[in-house]
Amino acid sequence: MIDRHGETQELLAGYVLQSLSSEDAAEADRLLTEHVPGCSECRMMLDAFQAVTGELSLDADPVRPPDPLLPRIHREMEPRGRWGARSTPGRLVAAVASVALVVGVGGLALAQHGGPSTPQVPTADVQELADYVIQHHPIQQQPLGGNAQELSAPGVQELFVYGRGVPFPGPGLVYRLWAVSRHHATHLHDFLPYPDGTVLVRLAVDPSSFDHLLVTVEPAGSQPSEPGDPAWPEAG
Amino acid sequence: MRDGDRDDLEFHRRLSEGDRGAFDELYRRYAGAAYGLAYRVTGQQILAQDVVHDAFMALWRTPEAFDPARGPFRTFFLALVHHRAVDLVRRESRLRARSERAANLEPLVGEDPADAIAEESYLGVRRKEVREALASLPSEQRQVLEMAYFGGKTQVQIAEELGIPLGTVKTRTFAAMRKLRAALEEIS
Repeated sequence: MIDRHGETQELLAGYVLQSLSSEDAAEADRLLTEHVPGCSECRMMLDAFQAVTGELSLDADPVRPPDPLLPRIHREMEPRGRWGARSTPGRLVAAVASVALVVGVGGLALAQHGGPSTPQVPTADVQELADYVIQHHPIQQQPLGGNAQELSAPGVQELFVYGRGVPFPGPGLVYRLWAVSRHHATHLHDFLPYPDGTVLVRLAVDPSSFDHLLVTVEPAGSQPSEPGDPAWPEAG
Repeated sequence: MRDGDRDDLEFHRRLSEGDRGAFDELYRRYAGAAYGLAYRVTGQQILAQDVVHDAFMALWRTPEAFDPARGPFRTFFLALVHHRAVDLVRRESRLRARSERAANLEPLVGEDPADAIAEESYLGVRRKEVREALASLPSEQRQVLEMAYFGGKTQVQIAEELGIPLGTVKTRTFAAMRKLRAALEEIS
């Protein structure tokens, strides 16, 4: 009998060490999307392995960093980036619903379920999406991969990126959203899934102004110069 | 939860509200560990500086990336540093030189054993525990773990270097991670 948990966890061990080959990394990504979010055993093991990798770092001897490093960091701490928690009044990543919400219009059903320990989703965030879906029916849905999709409506200069079961991109990483035209990619936004894998991002962008959206995985806080590898290659 | 971890949580909370003093305190606590780790992985001071710089900037810009429910701040932040260090050496395409670097790290300018960094006592205690746990691993498991973690090598590279099947590398890695986890829990 195949021990699916064992195979998954063996991959997760290599995943947290960043030592998987590209083929195994793709399989790990698939499992992180399809299996791990719904498997408490594997989720617990993933958390445990990630903790172990953090502890493992202590095997390296501490070394005093060069004195100019902190002043250099201080200089760059102002101004804060657009993604900083203190400088994004219009931040659009929603929290997780603690109640079930179902919006069913034109075949679009959004269901968010959460247990008693799940953070409350801001009502305003959920209401914004519900209003958008209702007001701009029919909504166009474009899969982005990774259980996420683009929701847009013709002639409406606003769109949403929504997903459930979206895997966390890894320590120190964020998902980066780009609007891609024929020869150009424009950085739109960085985001992280909420603890249960929910993603809800609203963007004031005209969907007709680009060809398609692209999601990449990038180091948090890095300069968005050009897109790296797609986060979810299956999106094509 | 240890006192040091509890203090970290409070500093992180304040940092999330824009408190630069809390940022400086976390820097004071973790810059040495972070730089030591980055230096061991990259083998070069200039790269290690970049890694530590980027990690602290990421912490300042996206403090919400740390979820206290998933473990202590210390493990989150040092995992972040490690991730960046490995990412950097791979991007720099300097892996071919890594074997030499691992065996003979670039000398640290001004390095003086007497100038050993003073770190928080709880970190020193944990460091001793981690080393104790690592020492309890069978040598072949510890070897693949260190090649992956500190060497930044993929499992395929490890298999080629050691002349063993890829499946064996995976099995040893998995076993090492499980044993290390158990050993750390037991020691704690």
